[in-house]
Amino acid sequence: MTNREKLQDLLQDILLLDPSEFRFDLGRDDVETWDSMSVVAIAVGVDETFGYHMSPEEAIQIAGVADIIEILEAKGISFAE
Amino acid sequence: MLNAPLGETVLLATPAVSAKVRDLPFKKAKGIDGLRANLDTLIVVAGGTLIDQAKVWRASRAPNTRLIAIPSIWGSGAEVSPVAVLDRDGAKEIHIGDELIPDVRCLWPELADDLPSKLAKHACGDAWAHALEGFLSPLADQELQDELAGLVREMMELPLTNDARWFELSARACTAQARSSVGLIHGIAHQLEGHLRTAHPGAGWGHAKLCSLFLWPVMAFNREHSAKWDELTTRYQLDGSIIFDLLRDLHEFEAYEQAASFLDRCWMDILKDPCSRTNSSLVRPASKSYFLERGFA
Repeated sequence: MTNREKLQDLLQDILLLDPSEFRFDLGRDDVETWDSMSVVAIAVGVDETFGYHMSPEEAIQIAGVADIIEILEAKGISFAE
Repeated sequence: MLNAPLGETVLLATPAVSAKVRDLPFKKAKGIDGLRANLDTLIVVAGGTLIDQAKVWRASRAPNTRLIAIPSIWGSGAEVSPVAVLDRDGAKEIHIGDELIPDVRCLWPELADDLPSKLAKHACGDAWAHALEGFLSPLADQELQDELAGLVREMMELPLTNDARWFELSARACTAQARSSVGLIHGIAHQLEGHLRTAHPGAGWGHAKLCSLFLWPVMAFNREHSAKWDELTTRYQLDGSIIFDLLRDLHEFEAYEQAASFLDRCWMDILKDPCSRTNSSLVRPASKSYFLERGFA
């Protein structure tokens, strides 16, 4: 499984999305279930899946899927297609 | 304290302790609904459910009334908590705010003496759920983890039965946990309680019993799916095997089987519960099988 697939799988599970509803350009405002509790779950899920422990500041500032990728790529985790 | 000038005071007690409060020199109320909003003081001697009702009544209807909470059983920590959980036709309505915290908390240790042992054991499970979920919470900072590790160590010394020391430890667990979050145990308890009460009205299903029942499965899940359990127990030199022995002592296989069918049906609601989403280990749609197929029933 690629990192893109892992991230998609993770976010679908946390945000309770069908695969057809997921896009890599999704923003927090596009998803009803992406609330503050989901932010906590995303931080936990990213830690478990990619081994990176987000700081609270990083987690709070996530505005969309692209931000998660940016944070992880800065730590050397590649999301190249 | 009860001899201090309290003004016009009414005492509200749960039926289980009515004989013990009979001789106290206060007017007794039959329920929340009949209370007047201009009372000076309301004393509640009860479990978490009635204390939570009184907290919401005071905050919404009588903000100038002094609220004194005396828990008749430990576990919920309602007497110190800024959270109140009301049951609305089987669904949980959660209120949060400092205005909910009772002004005064009193401990009446003798109330522990006559508690049925099963209720006492479930209450211990409720306290353990607060302590462990708060300790492992993704929202707990190191200061809170330090505090809860010390509390867990003290709780490991107490028997899972009638012991008045639980009143204090349970209140501390609740106060500390309120600074982080709870997790999947509470998500499950909130979602299943109404269903189980309706389906098995005489089986004593309530919040404490559910917390007690799901402690072992959820903590086993957390330990297996995240490194955090091992990291924290190692860092604080807590013997995880002793904790798990205690959690297994709280487990009831027959009751779990009754609860499991509702867990199966309500899993999506459990996933959506705010408590489940702050669990220390990520809970996913596929996680359901862990709780149904791992021999907890």
